[in-house]
Amino acid sequence: MNWEVVRALAEGAVRTIWLSGLGIAIGVPLGLFLALCRVWRVPLAAPLVAAYVSVLRATPLVTLALLIFFGFPPVLHIDLDPRVAAVITLALNTSAFHSEIWRASLIDFPADQLEAARAAGMTRSLIFRRIVLPQAWRASLPGMVNEMTFLIKTSPAIAVIGVVDLTRAAHRIAAYTYEPLPPFISATVIYVMVVIFLVLGQRKIERHIIKKYGIL
Amino acid sequence: MGHLSRRVCGRMSYYCRFLFAVFVFLAFTFTVSAGRAVGASLEEIKKRGYMIVATEDDYPPFEFIKDGKPAGLDHALVALLKKWAPFEIRQEILPWQGLLAGVSTGKYDVAISAAIITDERAKSLTFTMPVAEGTHYYVFRAGDNRIKGIKDLSGLTVGVQQGSALAAALPELDEMLKKMGGHLGKVVQYASYPEVYQDLANGRLDYAINTIVTVASLVREKPKVFAMGQAVSKRSYHAWAVKQGNNELRDYLNEFLAAQRKNGALYKLQGEWLGTAFPDLPWVGKLPGDRPLPE
Repeated sequence: MNWEVVRALAEGAVRTIWLSGLGIAIGVPLGLFLALCRVWRVPLAAPLVAAYVSVLRATPLVTLALLIFFGFPPVLHIDLDPRVAAVITLALNTSAFHSEIWRASLIDFPADQLEAARAAGMTRSLIFRRIVLPQAWRASLPGMVNEMTFLIKTSPAIAVIGVVDLTRAAHRIAAYTYEPLPPFISATVIYVMVVIFLVLGQRKIERHIIKKYGIL
Repeated sequence: MGHLSRRVCGRMSYYCRFLFAVFVFLAFTFTVSAGRAVGASLEEIKKRGYMIVATEDDYPPFEFIKDGKPAGLDHALVALLKKWAPFEIRQEILPWQGLLAGVSTGKYDVAISAAIITDERAKSLTFTMPVAEGTHYYVFRAGDNRIKGIKDLSGLTVGVQQGSALAAALPELDEMLKKMGGHLGKVVQYASYPEVYQDLANGRLDYAINTIVTVASLVREKPKVFAMGQAVSKRSYHAWAVKQGNNELRDYLNEFLAAQRKNGALYKLQGEWLGTAFPDLPWVGKLPGDRPLPE
């Protein structure tokens, strides 16, 4: 394994982390927005979101990437950079899953707290900001980190539109060395390190929460 | 009664939602397919000043990426095309699946990829003259004494890439084997060729099938592991593809390839990358068995 091979894998790893990170950064708040549309039963938006989630969860990532990169630009008369299309693909896909994670913790929110807040005269948006959100994100955290690790591992699908992520970088090396195992094992080690880093972050946050509030 | 109506309503809303989702999805795919662009004609390419070519990244010795740089016969030809064409050549590198989608939606003007011309592909793509011979050969483990000729392949396990022209041509081999009193054994399909070769080396496969040039390149690279077999298909060709019916652009690319053959550049590059030159290729695209392409 020479220096160029190491560099190719490192570049792929950076691209995987960047694009998945951006997808997550857009997908998590978008998921919250979608979940609120459903939980608050916003007219028109609620059934649309339900349909959106059903379709997005059922669409394979490769198909979604092909549609976004090749299908939409001619219709909308825009030209998309493959990396932008990749981030949109990952963000849309993960937003559907994150919306369900958010919805679960919002539905499960204790009704007595809401009644108490309403009795104290708080408005709905104030209740959401001060009471619901600070607790709902903590309840959602394990599910969210779980979904993030899934997204990172399904992200190689975006290679189909020409984005060279970690798996594609390994694939390119395997293609001309005719030895697929060394590059793919190296890539696996990098994926495992990224996921471990995420899980360590989750643990750190959880410990911090327990220290501050006594419970998770 | 109230209980029942609630149940019916509940189901109704579920079906409504489901139908709604399906409707949205269909509307979405319809809009997308209705907006399909036609690949740019030669005139449009000249007017806008650039042509977008798409190549692959995992197809040695035609197109691959080594040490971060494009390498292989087709990438060398793209470099020549950049000098030859009076307009700019923009290049995108992506996997076959995306490349096909890109050419059929008109995002890329031409697939400068050594695609094997097949009857099936000729229905949706228009092919240039061949850049190399693409006849299918079998490859087996070096030192496997069971395999001495085609008839010894009977009943043995074969590996090919999923959705490839090689996989599509397996019935042809079955016919050959049946004439010899044998039959095609178990077929295992893989996502790509590196895995096929790995499993062949591991002994899970008895032989694999790829084109003459790719097999020769593999055997050159790993002579202790693999050995080259014989042709198992009619004479076939590797060629470039444009969107079906874009004949002007095909003629333009044929003009370029013809010029590179007349000045010897193509044969020199074939020797350099493929290990052998193919001076007797036809001057137009041909279906397997040297049948003419439909116009």
